[in-house]
Amino acid sequence: MARLEILNPVAKTVEHSVKPAPRLPTLEGATIGLYWNMKAGGDAALDRTEALLREKFGGTTFRRYTGSVGWLMRHCTAEDADRIAAEVDAVVGTTAD
Amino acid sequence: MVELERRGIPTVLFTAQTFVHDAHRSAASFGLAGLPLAVVPLPFTNQTPRDIQGMAERAFDQVQAGLTRPVEAPKAVERPPLDERLRYDGDDLLDAWGRMQTDFLARGWSDGFPLVPPTERAVAALLRSTRRGPADPIATLEPGFGIATVEKLAINAVMAGCGPEHLPLLIAAVRCLAEPKMYIRNKAMSTGPHAPLVLVNGPKGRAANLNSGMCALGPGAPSASNTVLGRAVRLTMMNVGHTYVGVSDMDTIGSPLKYSLCCAENEAESPWEPYHVSRGFARDASTVTVHFVYGICELHDFRSTAPDDLVQVFATAATNVAQVGTGLWLIGRRADPRSKTEEKEHNTLFICPEHAQVFAKAGWGRREIQAALYRAARLPFRTMILNKEPKAMATAHPELAWLADHPDLPVPVVEEPTCFDIAVVGAAAGRGAYFYGAGEPVTMPVED
Repeated sequence: MARLEILNPVAKTVEHSVKPAPRLPTLEGATIGLYWNMKAGGDAALDRTEALLREKFGGTTFRRYTGSVGWLMRHCTAEDADRIAAEVDAVVGTTAD
Repeated sequence: MVELERRGIPTVLFTAQTFVHDAHRSAASFGLAGLPLAVVPLPFTNQTPRDIQGMAERAFDQVQAGLTRPVEAPKAVERPPLDERLRYDGDDLLDAWGRMQTDFLARGWSDGFPLVPPTERAVAALLRSTRRGPADPIATLEPGFGIATVEKLAINAVMAGCGPEHLPLLIAAVRCLAEPKMYIRNKAMSTGPHAPLVLVNGPKGRAANLNSGMCALGPGAPSASNTVLGRAVRLTMMNVGHTYVGVSDMDTIGSPLKYSLCCAENEAESPWEPYHVSRGFARDASTVTVHFVYGICELHDFRSTAPDDLVQVFATAATNVAQVGTGLWLIGRRADPRSKTEEKEHNTLFICPEHAQVFAKAGWGRREIQAALYRAARLPFRTMILNKEPKAMATAHPELAWLADHPDLPVPVVEEPTCFDIAVVGAAAGRGAYFYGAGEPVTMPVED
């Protein structure tokens, strides 16, 4: 019988914690942001989602967003997130994958 | 999405089934493990609008629920064992070692090749090669926000087969990985085959017996030092940065380059100043450069004796539009939204000594090659835009909308001439290597 004792290679991680936002009681009358990172196809999914939300929930309004920086994928900066948060009640996003 | 939740805005994110684990893990690393998803069967990319609309319709209930129902905490959070020592019993040490390999594979901690056991004694031998203490943090490594202490790097280096001479080089490489401009989160987690190309310059690379000549990128005994250092970088990305396949590394095809891709520059046979000197370091400094690359193409030419002819051949490698970085500048720059760093897409050329002499005899240095390649490596706009999202180009470069009316106009493959990085590597015969890069290289000095 033999024992091999070794050191654990896996690093501890810095933990982050974010409290989820309160959900909306209803989507009626809500202003909904549609965020697309510009990866191919994501815009078509948001187009259909907007149409379905309009059909089902009265008084909804929509705003379209993409990130202000990036290339294949466009990302939101902190300023982008501040602006979106000030303008909408909820966000549907797609990164296309 | 997590940043919007932090600001009090409920969100839901369309996610393909394949990427659900990745999305949960990514959201958890940013602090919100239960981020609501609307799961669809396939990625939207390469799907017809009709198919995408159908997927959106079938996921509509999840969209509503994500915005209106309370967020549920995930059932279980994966944690590596807290025990800093692991024990494997067997009939003999070889049997115990086999059990260690099996366990590491099951946990995802292995690159697939047999690992050297990181015993306390072996790790201690590496730790003596640096003035830093074992607990000293070198960096926090994304995507998992792993704390890269010197000891954790040494453990992974031992597993890769490294000796004490490699640890300072690995520390420098990890500092490259953690540099904000590297934006490693993107490269580690992508569906693309991003491989860290590690190029070492200076006396510490020579002291570590890194091969810069024949078959520098391996395999074989002359490149053994290169192989283990490059492997240590990959294992560090995995076990320190928490870049695990299928969890946080979503590479579609993968690449053998991701196992190990490392060499030194052949400074002795270069007609030019060493690569690191061209990047502002002192000639006697030792440096490590990391450039993430997607793939490699040979630069073969036994015939040309004039620089312009060689550049024409090199340009054929550079004008491969199937490679994601080719012409990517048309739709913007790789950018980390947190640090607001931006990267231009670079490509690295390993020019063999014989080709380097063809250029040098004509009085050409790096700058002349870069300028000539920038002029030669162009493609018609209609070809360049084939695999790029037109709306992204309209967003990034609205001033270039006129190109749509001139589809046959040749467009450069990179943003500017300095996007070609040039090092001299290899032995005799006219065969170099063109690496299709992902973003910009980062260079760090090697410290004791």
